[in-house]
Amino acid sequence: MEEYVGELWHKLVTRVADKQHTEAAVSLDEISKTAAIFFRALGGDPGLNLSAAPATRHGARRRWKERLATSGERVELSWRDGETLRLPEHISIFSERSLNRDLYFWLVALSAVETDNNLPWIQQNQQATLATLARFPGLIARYQRLVAALLPLRVNPENLPTAEAAQEFAIRLALMQPGSVKTLPPSKTPFYPVALWTHPNPPATAGSNISAGDGAPERESSEDANIAKSRRKHAAERTDMPDGKDGFLMMFRAESLFSWTEYINVNRPQDEEDDIESAALAAEDMDSMTVARDGETSVAKLRFDLDLPPAGEDETPLGEGISLPEWDYKKQVMQVDYCRLQEMVSAQTVPCELPAQLRRTARRLRSQFQALAPTRIWLKGQQDGEEIDLDAWVRQEADLLSGVHADSRGLYRAQVNQQRDLACLLLADLSLSTDTYASDHARVIDVIRDSLFLFSEALTATGDQFAMYGFSSLKRGNIRFNLLKSFEEKYDNQTRGRIQAIKPGYYTRMGASIRYASTLLAVQPQRQRLLLLLTDGKPNDLDRYEGRYGIEDTRMALHEARQHGLRPFCVTIDNEANEYLPHLFGASGFAVIRKPEDLPKELPLLYAQMTH
Amino acid sequence: MQNLPFYQVQGSEIELFERAWRNRLPLLIKGPTGCGKTRFVAHMATKLGLPLHTVACHDDLTAADLVGRHLIVDGQTVWTDGPLTRAVREGGICYLDEVVEARKDTTVVLHPLADDRRILPIDRTGELLVAPPSFMLVVSYNPGYQNFLKGMKPSTRQRFISLAFDFPPAAQEEAILVGESGIDAMTAKRLVSIANAFRTLRDHDLEEVASTRLLVYAASLIKDGCEPTLACRAALVETLTDDPETAVALREVIDATFGR
Ligand SMILES: Nc1ncnc2c1ncn2[C@@H]1O[C@H](COP(=O)(O)OP(=O)(O)OP(=O)(O)O)[C@@H](O)[C@H]1O
Ligand SMILES: [Mg+2]
Repeated sequence: MEEYVGELWHKLVTRVADKQHTEAAVSLDEISKTAAIFFRALGGDPGLNLSAAPATRHGARRRWKERLATSGERVELSWRDGETLRLPEHISIFSERSLNRDLYFWLVALSAVETDNNLPWIQQNQQATLATLARFPGLIARYQRLVAALLPLRVNPENLPTAEAAQEFAIRLALMQPGSVKTLPPSKTPFYPVALWTHPNPPATAGSNISAGDGAPERESSEDANIAKSRRKHAAERTDMPDGKDGFLMMFRAESLFSWTEYINVNRPQDEEDDIESAALAAEDMDSMTVARDGETSVAKLRFDLDLPPAGEDETPLGEGISLPEWDYKKQVMQVDYCRLQEMVSAQTVPCELPAQLRRTARRLRSQFQALAPTRIWLKGQQDGEEIDLDAWVRQEADLLSGVHADSRGLYRAQVNQQRDLACLLLADLSLSTDTYASDHARVIDVIRDSLFLFSEALTATGDQFAMYGFSSLKRGNIRFNLLKSFEEKYDNQTRGRIQAIKPGYYTRMGASIRYASTLLAVQPQRQRLLLLLTDGKPNDLDRYEGRYGIEDTRMALHEARQHGLRPFCVTIDNEANEYLPHLFGASGFAVIRKPEDLPKELPLLYAQMTH
Repeated sequence: MQNLPFYQVQGSEIELFERAWRNRLPLLIKGPTGCGKTRFVAHMATKLGLPLHTVACHDDLTAADLVGRHLIVDGQTVWTDGPLTRAVREGGICYLDEVVEARKDTTVVLHPLADDRRILPIDRTGELLVAPPSFMLVVSYNPGYQNFLKGMKPSTRQRFISLAFDFPPAAQEEAILVGESGIDAMTAKRLVSIANAFRTLRDHDLEEVASTRLLVYAASLIKDGCEPTLACRAALVETLTDDPETAVALREVIDATFGR
């Protein structure tokens, strides 16, 4: 009997696998930006990233799954966790492209609703469907089209054994009449995935576990870099180490028939022995990689720490360290005195001139920027103005007396004010990542150095007040804030020497640095105060300062800055910045420089635009 | 009290305005564009039976624009009152819209008027006007993003009673749409639902959000027979963004509300 059912399933799954309509496929890349905005507009959490869901096994019976085409065996479903909204990388279920696209937007709408997580999965999806349709009645027609198109693609329950048929009936009913089905009848065989619903048992992801846990370092960034080409991220799951007693660990949750995850270092289930691949199954093929929290993590951590450059002995601390708070978005509390920031100045600076290769550009910038220098002038002969233009009036009267027909020249004087009343603090990210090469001949740090030079040249020409600092961090107790030029200091050979001496530091604890920079800028008397952040990536640090935690703290720090009447703006060379900078700086509060080597040229121009 | 402009109450703003006026206190109203500040002041002026002089402030606005200037008329210099002076003389309301746009040296002329002296010295004529009890100074500004650049001097700000306006709660905003354009309650509800969806995008994807004013525009188009999604695109989407992908997302929200 089982063999027979197996055949059926085989046919079914292969048929479904064949029925992908590649010609009508819509990819996440095409719609991701729009989908993300749509998600937020519908009330979805604006802090979430949007990412492609890794394909997960939909649970065809293990015995035959090896015989099946891989594509038929895996589906991409959508789900949401604390950091990410995951959507299929492609949707090609329907033969009509517009339906595939509609399905994306339907899934986004569904994910934007909060549902009761205690409800069984089948109820949650019906609840979310009802809530979505109630708030957005315009989706009703679309939902009906999707259901109508989906049902014929699903297995016909009449061809199924009783238990499975009951399940399939329940699902169909729930789709057609959301809210009508209370429970999913049990069956030994998993049901076919429901494309209109969310993932029944989504894999846990690295980010959420780390923030919840004790914050052991995870070199997420390097992992990210390796797979940067693909939006698909492996869901690295952290679970307790198997204690070995069970022989093999239950990798699927008890209440679920779905197995989404496998251990690498665990005995495989018996029925798979026939056709087992090597234990070193390519990670790519795994549904998720399990990072077990045994002794290895601490070893990794140690090694990681050793990777760091030695502590800067060539730097002199200025004053005592400063305690700063940090925002914990999960608890929604400000953790008082949580961070320690130390202002530093490079000890071995050699005063220097502007590097020769920048002189030409600097000269050009200076003359361009002089045009922005403050002026306050009276315009004569205006049609309208605060004062009478006596000269013009006398001339007109004289003309009239001498019989000349005076044309109606303006008789007033008006004052135009081109006063600039502006202070700018530039905060440069000097983290480890600036040690990477930005182009064939320059590292990011070199590009930043040139940018700081040219920026200073330009601002000196305008007469605007400015200060420059660099920052990097090594956990919350060790945030370095490097003085390059304070508001009081002149831009001279001494400060140039400090710019010359900048070098890559450690990590990027943005929040604390922004908070401290804000206090320096907020006491400046100018009317316009610009906080300019120059960076190459996301906030991150060795402890839990990464992912959403770091982003939300930075966001809070920026919010505080705005409350102080400062205007934050970010210039970045991170090509993925569009994924998180709008959340931090607003749609028009940042600029992405695609080619890092253009930064030195672009930065002063951006400044001019910003402050015109 | 003729032609009282329609104003949908949001809270205790009418009471506060009246109290401020009776106690000769100047009033500052802050709130996003198109949320009803101007309408409120017009409503109150009519209600209290006071003449209203409105000045839209901008960068180049000078003290002379407010107070007045000498003009040359037929070869003679003639002093002409500015709107502020006129309001003081008449004992009416002077309403300075977007006051942060004005330069600091312009807003200082308000100082002696806005504290308990209630006087307006006119340098150029040597006149010193004492404001009658019914005179009231009202200023407004939009604490939006770009205004952080400007801000108001504390010494100016702290001379005012402040009222914060925001877009009204859904039910009231729906009532405004019905009252202003005459559309049906269901359409009003959908329009407000769209606006609130867009408003969650503030500071993230959109720099500005849909104002009540824009909703009134959309409602008027629909009332005139325009197809709702078309009206919303014209009044809301294209006004709020130039970015094609953002526009698509906004249109999706509209379709999700009105159907497609
Ligand atoms: N409470 C309200 N009652 C009646 N109509 C309102 C109300 N709020 C807004 N409106 C409508 O919105 C339109 C815009 O309001 P109004 O001109 O008062 O905005 P505002 O706050 O002064 O904007 P701005 O800052 O751009 O000057 C009004 O013409 C009116 O149609
Ligand atoms: Mg107005």
